[in-house]
Amino acid sequence: MQTLDKISQILNQALVLIGGIFLVGMIVLTCGNIFFRTIWVPIPGTFELMGYSGAVVAAFALGYTQLKKGHIAVDVLVNMFPKPVQKLVQTINFAVGFIFFVLAAWQITVKASTLRQTGEVTETLRIIYYPFAYAVALGCLVLALVLLIDLFKLFGPPRESQS
Amino acid sequence: MSLAAVGILGIVALLLILFCLGMPVGFAMALVGFCGFCYVVSFKAGLNMISAVLWDTFSKYGLTVIPLFIFMGQVAFYSGVNEKLYNAAYKWVGHIRGGIAMATVVACAAFSAICGSNAATAATMTTVALPQMNKFNYEPKLSTGAIACGSTLGVVIPPSVVLIIIGLSTEQSIARLFYGGIGAGLILALLLTLTIYVVCRIYPEWGPAGPQTSWLEKFKALSGALEMVILFSLVMLGLYFGLFTPAEAGAAGSFFAVVISVFQGRLSWKGFIASVTDTLRISCMVIMIVAGAMIFGRFLAVTRIPFDIASWVVDLPVSGMFIMMIIFAIYIIGGAVMDALALLLITIPIFFPVSQELGYDPVWFGVTITVVTTLGAVTPPVGATTYVVGGMAKNVRLEEVFKGVTYFLPAYIICILLLMAFPALVTFLPSLIK
Repeated sequence: MQTLDKISQILNQALVLIGGIFLVGMIVLTCGNIFFRTIWVPIPGTFELMGYSGAVVAAFALGYTQLKKGHIAVDVLVNMFPKPVQKLVQTINFAVGFIFFVLAAWQITVKASTLRQTGEVTETLRIIYYPFAYAVALGCLVLALVLLIDLFKLFGPPRESQS
Repeated sequence: MSLAAVGILGIVALLLILFCLGMPVGFAMALVGFCGFCYVVSFKAGLNMISAVLWDTFSKYGLTVIPLFIFMGQVAFYSGVNEKLYNAAYKWVGHIRGGIAMATVVACAAFSAICGSNAATAATMTTVALPQMNKFNYEPKLSTGAIACGSTLGVVIPPSVVLIIIGLSTEQSIARLFYGGIGAGLILALLLTLTIYVVCRIYPEWGPAGPQTSWLEKFKALSGALEMVILFSLVMLGLYFGLFTPAEAGAAGSFFAVVISVFQGRLSWKGFIASVTDTLRISCMVIMIVAGAMIFGRFLAVTRIPFDIASWVVDLPVSGMFIMMIIFAIYIIGGAVMDALALLLITIPIFFPVSQELGYDPVWFGVTITVVTTLGAVTPPVGATTYVVGGMAKNVRLEEVFKGVTYFLPAYIICILLLMAFPALVTFLPSLIK
């Protein structure tokens, strides 16, 4: 369990690092495009690269956001439930969420594989873009992993207080 | 079961999952949308739909505007811009009765012009402005109420994530919505300031005047806020003249925010990293809600519920204004129990077609419901902004903050009534966009 948690932490840190690099890249690319468009010609393919980079930024932060409990929920009513009911509710949430994102990851992987097999390329740059679809699938899978760990933690021994 | 019945059942199931399970809003919408779609069409079609919608949403160019504007706001936040803005406002109006509270609202409005986050504004203003107001023996109800309500300007004054999301989900121009938000935001800021003035006329001891400042000090303080005025002008004028797309405006704004902050030595490496990670977390949360709303929207579309409701409402034997007031009442109640962004994404597919059938201007509708839902950010039981202020303000109980907020509620109501009576307050500026 602790190993799984450690793997999830490291994985999410790595994905956030990559997501951060893509975010900075998006800013640099767009500003470069504005600059070159003003003095000469626009950077070709900026729009499509921005879209795919945005996919990496959002998908790679899915697990990290769940780790930080950053996905907004309406917990006004749930907070009033007795502890055992809250635990049951959380169990349902994590289990259903896990199944949904495993399904999503599987289906996006199927989509990415189809894009790879058909040799689909982008409109302007004519480059393959299936790796970005795999990246979104990975993001969903890591989110599913975090939800699974959250589920295990509900039934594990109480955690030691963290500094 | 008829399609309409399935649609209504889906909406009821969503509300049950949201409130009774406390499932994250994006996940709940995606789950109900997926299950409903599977029921109406087929399981295989449902699987295909979620992969297509998730991929299309995550890789959509239009959505890249979200992390870019959030990053600009986070950089401004971590480089302590609001401190400077507050200082400038304090030097100008701090010497009048209730002036420090007014300065807080003005600083909130100014910071909202760079950052679209209520919570970030509330957190900093509590740290910066509250000790100052305590020093001059301000009544805690007035000081904390002013901070909580002033912070809600974040989502009304552009650039605002809420307005971006409304633009994307209703296929409207984000630039027009931004310009519509300026009028509404300034009116709300003015009304909040007026509330402080009136409260201090009734209870003079609640907001004693601060020290006088010389003209030299006043103008010196302005220099600290000048670069942020330039940044805001760059973004808004670029959009106005069509030089930038919204995403480009966000990127250019982020770039210059980093350059200005680094050159002034106000953004450390640690602050930069925190800006990036916060941006990733907030953007992911927002985009996941958008993706969930898209999946839920696909389900609603196959049941034709939004169109049925729109045509049913239009045929009701009551005036359009009455229907609009009912919609706003739903938004006020909904805003009190759930996050504004989530509420808007759930309800827009239903209420936007109604507003269009009734002949309301789409920009006016988008901006006005934003103002209406901001009320929810300060009212119980959710009142996220009030919780931030209550949590950070030492020696002030949460009930006192909520009590303080009640003094400002008439300002919101008057603002909404003004926007309803004079739609041009919102629609005039957008009509000038080329």
